[in-house]
Formats: sequence, structure tokens, C-alpha cells
Amino acid sequence: MAEIPKPKVGFYGFTGCAGDLLTILHCEDELLDIFNAVDIRSFLMASSDVHDDEELDIAFVEGSITTDHQLESLKGIRKRSKVLVAIGSCACFGGPQAARLGCGDWEKRFKKVYGEVKHTVAEPRESHPLDEYVKVDYCIPGCPIDKHQFFFALTRLAKGMPVELTTFPVCAECKWNENECLLLKGELCLGPVTAGGCNSRCPNHNLPCVGCWGPTSEANVASEINLLKERNFSAEEIVNKLRLFGGAAMVRRFADLLGIKTEEPAGKPRQKKARKPVAAGKAKKKTASKSPKAKSGKKR
Amino acid sequence: MKALKLKKEDLYAYLESLKSYGELWGPVPRGERYVYARLTNVREVALQALRTILPPKKFFVPPRFNMFRYSEDRYTEVFDDVKPRVLFGLHPCDIHGLMILDELFLERFPDPYYRKRREATAIIGLSCIPDDKCMARSTNTHAVEGGFDLAFNELGDEYLVWVGSSLGDDLVRLNLDLFNEEIDAQDLQKYLEWRRKRDSRYKLNFDLTGMPDIMELSWDSDLWQELADKCLACGACSMVCPTCNCYNIRDVSDLSLESGVRERHWDSCMNKEYALVAGGHNFREARAERLKLYYTHKLKAFITEYGKPSCVGCGRCIDTCPVNINVAEVIRALKGQEVKV
Repeated sequence: MAEIPKPKVGFYGFTGCAGDLLTILHCEDELLDIFNAVDIRSFLMASSDVHDDEELDIAFVEGSITTDHQLESLKGIRKRSKVLVAIGSCACFGGPQAARLGCGDWEKRFKKVYGEVKHTVAEPRESHPLDEYVKVDYCIPGCPIDKHQFFFALTRLAKGMPVELTTFPVCAECKWNENECLLLKGELCLGPVTAGGCNSRCPNHNLPCVGCWGPTSEANVASEINLLKERNFSAEEIVNKLRLFGGAAMVRRFADLLGIKTEEPAGKPRQKKARKPVAAGKAKKKTASKSPKAKSGKKR
Repeated sequence: MKALKLKKEDLYAYLESLKSYGELWGPVPRGERYVYARLTNVREVALQALRTILPPKKFFVPPRFNMFRYSEDRYTEVFDDVKPRVLFGLHPCDIHGLMILDELFLERFPDPYYRKRREATAIIGLSCIPDDKCMARSTNTHAVEGGFDLAFNELGDEYLVWVGSSLGDDLVRLNLDLFNEEIDAQDLQKYLEWRRKRDSRYKLNFDLTGMPDIMELSWDSDLWQELADKCLACGACSMVCPTCNCYNIRDVSDLSLESGVRERHWDSCMNKEYALVAGGHNFREARAERLKLYYTHKLKAFITEYGKPSCVGCGRCIDTCPVNINVAEVIRALKGQEVKV
């Protein structure tokens, strides 16, 4: 049998805690198999032997984009890669650092934290998920990702096959694990509106779901909010919880419900250096849409 | 079917002797609820348990299991978890639920995964007094005439024990000395009295006669959209339903890329992607359509096909749905407020 060349793969990280890349590195029992299955050309946390000028079959990218420099790198990775996979909630939705996305007061918040500083390394910008700027083929959400879902995606892509990620919400697996329903016990649990695949990890430990896998394709956020209000949670608490990990997904899909009055569409490029994100065409229409990317608008 | 008697004080001793047949499983507490779990200590069994979080279907179609391991040139079915088991404490509604699954998984297109697990399992029923979420009397699943190997009926300080199969007979013989074969007229009186008591305790009583007609007439009802606005589409109702049995399969490759497993897991018609087909068309994209399908299946299609609803009145959907969409609410809405008997 003719030897099929192994797919060339790169792992990259932008703004985040590196928890997703670490999840992969922590797969000690499977690590050799991973390195065996594919030809890893770049994985800085694993090896300093990186080849970042090569074409890749698959790029796995963690973290959100928070500087102009990162944006340039991301575009470079996209250009070199046949398939780009966002891994982790930061790459998929912007991460907790995007919890106030769409509020339009980023510069003010930035100054509050950092003061008047001169940016010497890179020009900062508000945290956005990868698909705000480049085409993302797959999003593997999670904070951090689940290693089995990563293996599933890796093996599928290595065989050139499409990846069907989990579509059911956390509640399904939570029932499989026969947990007592935390919502029914009066807790602020986001299980019904959150994508599953994590094996209901938090409810298994009696902790309510915080929504770190982002909303399901059909999250009924309106009903979830009503339900939680009936349980005497304040609108502010509920919205904050939904936005903590929901980031751009919440802004794009549920801005009205969450009372997010986007002064500027999320994908609006920063004015100074006028580097256009991919979605710039849409972003220019100031009031037109809370969904700066065409893709997001169709998601419902 | 014959009847015997067992003193309540001898129950634990008898449960202990069942272990020589296989693993003994029964309801145990989990927080404020119950689950079926392995009874290493027979005294852990929760005899007061009315409904477990998941129905006993989890034993025969596990929520997630590997059907087979494959490599490039062969596949081997996986039956690692199939071993002799005794399930103790199934209430009549759950036994009826299993009988419905039997019809679906053992008759026209036998499912080897279901069959192997079913054949390795002995079913021991236990009578119950309903609570305010039980509606088994309406679905005529409040009593059992079959579908079990043994059925225990609480009667004062004794159990009446029905032997429902030759396996049941074998199970009795595991510790025959504990049983009393003398049944007298007094026992019959006590049993009839107990039945009257049980029947009088149902708070949810619906006349389901002609339900398919009502469903048909409600096809365009606004009800479905109203429910859909509330429905979280979480699928929990399907997971906990004793008769919901839809599943999805996917191949999960090993990292070697040369072998892997075919995995099967529970699915729900409440999932948006459930009716999504190749090419991207979704037959039931709207949540209202899916809710209608779910209840059409329970209260119309199954009746037309099998002569009975595929709801066994266990009350789990009533106990589970965070936004109170359940079979009782839907029947009420479809029929107008039913007069409670």
C-alpha cells in the first residue's frame, strides 16, 4: 500500500490562558499517537522546532485576537492552511475578555485598566474571535476543550473527512449521567442553552453549567431568561452569566434579548491603522446589523 | 402465572440470594431523586422510590455505547457490559415501557445490542402507590399481566409474588424456603382492597380514547407554537422517557487512523439537527414542528400502529422539564381542562 503522506499540522495560540493547547499537551497517554498520526510542523509549547513558513493541511488556533500583530499572524496562518480550526472558547467566541463585546466602551475600559500607556510591542484592540477576521472551518468550543472532541476532529480531518461536532445541549448528557437537575433546584444553570459534548462535566460535580461551550445552534435564550427570572435571578446576573463565555456568539445572535445596544458593530476595524477585517464590508453599515458576519446571521 | 407469598422481613435475604444469578440492580437515592444502581449491599435498595431519573431502558440501550470495534479488514461487536443481571424494583409503568421497547427492538427488525442485554436480564417488578405525577391509570399501564419474571406486590407485612416466566420460577427456587405457596381467600380480599386503594390515588386521570382523532384535529393548533416559545429544546424529555428510543451513531477513529469504534448514543427528535439530512435540508427545522412530532408519536402515531399510546404515564417528563412542557400539560391543552376523577 502506497504510503499516504501525513497531514501537516500546526498549533498556534493567541490571547487566552493556553489551556486548550495545554489540554492537548496533557494527553500524555495519547501524545505519541498524536505526533504519529500527523506531521506536526509547529507547536511551540511542545517543541522549539517550528516551521512557520510552510503550507499546512490543518491549523489549530487557540485564543482570541487582541492586537494588530496577532491579526497579521492569524491572516498568515489562514493563508497557509487548508483547514483552520478554532479551539477553545476564546478562539470561538472571544473568551471572557470579550464578555463586554458590543458595548462600544472598549477604549475607556482599556484605559481604566492600563492607564495612558504607550504601546511598544503591539497595538491592542478589543478581543474578538477568529471568525471575525478570517474564515474558520470548525469551532471546537470549551474552556478548555474536551480532549475526546479534539481527537475526534483531528482524526476526521486527518482522513480528509468532515467533522460533526456535538449538537445536543449539555442537558442531554447531564441526563445520561443522571444528575439531579440544578435548574430545578433553583440554580443559575445554562445547560439547556449550551452546546454539549463536555459530558456535563460541571453538573456532574454539582456545579451549574456556566456556558463555556457557547450557545447551541438553537439556544432558546428568551425562555431560559424567563425561567431564571422566575427563579428570582436578576436580569443583570443572567445577562452577565450568558455573556461571560458567550462573547461574540451572544452579541451576534441575542443582542436584543440581552439588551446589548451595540454602538459599533462588533467587527468594526479599529480606525487608527485601518486594517480591514474580513467582515469589514458588513461592519461599515453602522446600524444595519448586530451580526457583523454573514455566517452568524444565518445561524439561527 | 402463579402466586406465592414472601414475608417482608425476608426480602433482604431473598435479594441476597438473587446475586447468585447475576449482578443485582435496584433503585437507590441520589440527592432527592433515585437512580438504578448496583446493589452490592441489598439494604441500600430504596423501596420507597417511585421514579428513577432514567428509566430502565438505560440497561438495554445504554445512553452511549460502542456497537463494534473496526479495523481496516474486520469488525468485532462489543458486548463487554452484557452479563447476567437482575433488575429489582421496576414499577408497572416501567415494565410496560420495556414491553414497548421489546416490540420495537425485538420484533420486525431485531436489534442485537438490545436483545443480548435483554436476554441476560431478569426483571422483578414492584408495586407502587402513585403520586401526583403518575398517570399510568390513564394509559392503562398501572398494572402488569406480563413482561416480568417476578412481580412483587406489597400487601401488609407480606409481598404477593407473581411468577411471570420460567426464569422467574428459577429465581424463586434460588431460595424457595422463604416463599409460602398457601394463598387463601383473605389474601385475595387484601389484594383487591389494595388495588382499589392504588386506583383511588391517581390525581392525573385522562380519558385517552380517540386521542389520534384529537391530535389530527389539532394539527394546525396555535398550541404548538405557544409551547415552542417556551421549549428549551434541551431534549431532556426524550432522555428520561421510558419509550423514547431514537439514537444516532458515529464512527470514532483511533489516533492510529486504522481502527476505531462505532458509537451509538441517544438522540432526541427535539434536537434541531435531528431531521437534518444530507444536502442541508431540515424536515423539521421549526421547534413547533418538532414538539408536534414528539407528541404525535406518543399520542397518535403509536396508537394507530400498536393500539396503545407510547406514553406509559410514568411522570418523568412532568418531573424533568424545566419549563413544564409534559404529556399531562399537552393532553390538558388538547382536550381542554380534563375533569379530574
